[in-house]
Amino acid sequence: MNWPTTRLTLRLRLLSTASAAAGLIAVMAAVGALFPAVGHTIGRINVPKSVLNLLGGGDYGTITGWFRSEIAAIYGPLVIGALAITGASAITAGEEEDGILGLVMAHPIRRSRLVASKAAGIGAVVLIIAFAMWLGLIVGVALGGGGISIGHMAALAVQLAFFGLATGAVAIALGAGTGRRSTATGVAAAVAVVGWLINSFAPLVSGIGWLKYISLFYYYAGSDPLTRGVDIVGLIVLGAVTAVLTAIAMAGIDRRDLRA
Amino acid sequence: MAGPVIATSGLSKDYGSGRGLFGLDLEVQAGEVFGFLGPNGAGKSTTMRLLLDLIKPTSGSARVLGLDTGTDSLEIRRRVGFLPGDLALYPKLTGRVVLDYLAELRGGVDARARDSLVERFGADLDRPVHELSTGNRRKLGLIQAFMHDPEVLILDEPIAGLDPLVQETFHSLLAEVSARGRTVFLSSHTLSEVERVTHRLAILRQGRLVVVDALENLRRVAVQRLEIEFGEPVDAGEFRGLPGVTDVRADGQTVTVSFEGSADPVVKAAARHVVQAIRPREDDLEDIFLRYYRERPA
Repeated sequence: MNWPTTRLTLRLRLLSTASAAAGLIAVMAAVGALFPAVGHTIGRINVPKSVLNLLGGGDYGTITGWFRSEIAAIYGPLVIGALAITGASAITAGEEEDGILGLVMAHPIRRSRLVASKAAGIGAVVLIIAFAMWLGLIVGVALGGGGISIGHMAALAVQLAFFGLATGAVAIALGAGTGRRSTATGVAAAVAVVGWLINSFAPLVSGIGWLKYISLFYYYAGSDPLTRGVDIVGLIVLGAVTAVLTAIAMAGIDRRDLRA
Repeated sequence: MAGPVIATSGLSKDYGSGRGLFGLDLEVQAGEVFGFLGPNGAGKSTTMRLLLDLIKPTSGSARVLGLDTGTDSLEIRRRVGFLPGDLALYPKLTGRVVLDYLAELRGGVDARARDSLVERFGADLDRPVHELSTGNRRKLGLIQAFMHDPEVLILDEPIAGLDPLVQETFHSLLAEVSARGRTVFLSSHTLSEVERVTHRLAILRQGRLVVVDALENLRRVAVQRLEIEFGEPVDAGEFRGLPGVTDVRADGQTVTVSFEGSADPVVKAAARHVVQAIRPREDDLEDIFLRYYRERPA
């Protein structure tokens, strides 16, 4: 690891990370505050099962279901995934396309070490966002009247952090391996969205239910952390995916020409 | 060190369609300021990127400071200062933060040496890079290349974008580092940019080395051009028969004379008229290639 590189990576994304964190807390406070007024009403609406699956089960009548649908199903992973993907693409392929990496890599630092240090910076961004998510949940649930333990809220934040790390690692592997920002951002986003769709719909279709196991989303939310707490197996899988993809990124950038 | 500081052997990078670098054999000695000339796309930047292991050769090999660029690149980069031609820096960060970071990548540099360079170049370290002019960004590039007092400087188009005063500072800095035994390998696409500072020159064309020679020899075969603005229209024929004159073009009151060797006959012929201005014109590398080959067939 190279601490100056990790620190610089974090510094370059500090403003956007702080803004996103503050926004997350505000949104979750608003979501929580809305629950007493509209949660029970929405909970009585008949919604097709497929749609409910997209929304994390859609049990709007309880505070747990409300936050599962409003935050855990889409908003949380969308924010953390977007920040991880755009950040990871920018620090690898983005800097390469801009010509910055050419100068940095003319310095005495191994490419693999540089990429690992940058990945650590993006990891720190993900952890900050996940922590903000946890704080936001605490505030939101309190405003919604309570009903979810702090431990279960922390479990969701932890699962979300690992999901963000794995999603960012997809972008880092692609960015470091190809040097193309559009490829890194586009493919990583596609992996996240397709994973979300697979996790939501595959179990509803006879014979392809197993497909959910190839979705990162399943390992993030498959065990319902707001109700059951941390899913150790899910964390191990997401952690392993992150480690393997980061190793691929380190090996990939070592073996190729810099593009600019 | 004994032997050349930079040595390439059949160094090639083939990008296809005739683009790249082909079979470069080159040696640069310690303490030399070596100019690497060629038009855009000739392979100058490719050579420099190969020396720093930013790209891998298709074939051939290169050594810098006696170290193999493929296997010892980390040590080479520790001892080399590099200025890329298309310098890019973190746009949102100030020059100070950028230089601090690059210094940290080297494990720290002597702050006094860095401050001295900042003062000499008059660099602005307190504004974000995106607010700086091209010339001011190039100053940061030069500072980061020199600030660790490297044994070898690889500078890609270092003079481009610098104003004349900063060029003066750069030239004196090159003379100082050369006097201390440092080796400088710098590129340009015009002879006039580097002729004041280089000891030897190589000229590259379409990825192939065509000339390596001392500056004096290349200058001797270089076609010089003077653009002379007269107070009234002048018959271009007056210059055509002069010794050394190869081409004369007239446009109104301005006559452009191309010649070899001494400028004396041209200047004396011009002095018979009212001269408003005399301006030297950029040398033409193509002319140098052609004349060099005409005089020294392989």
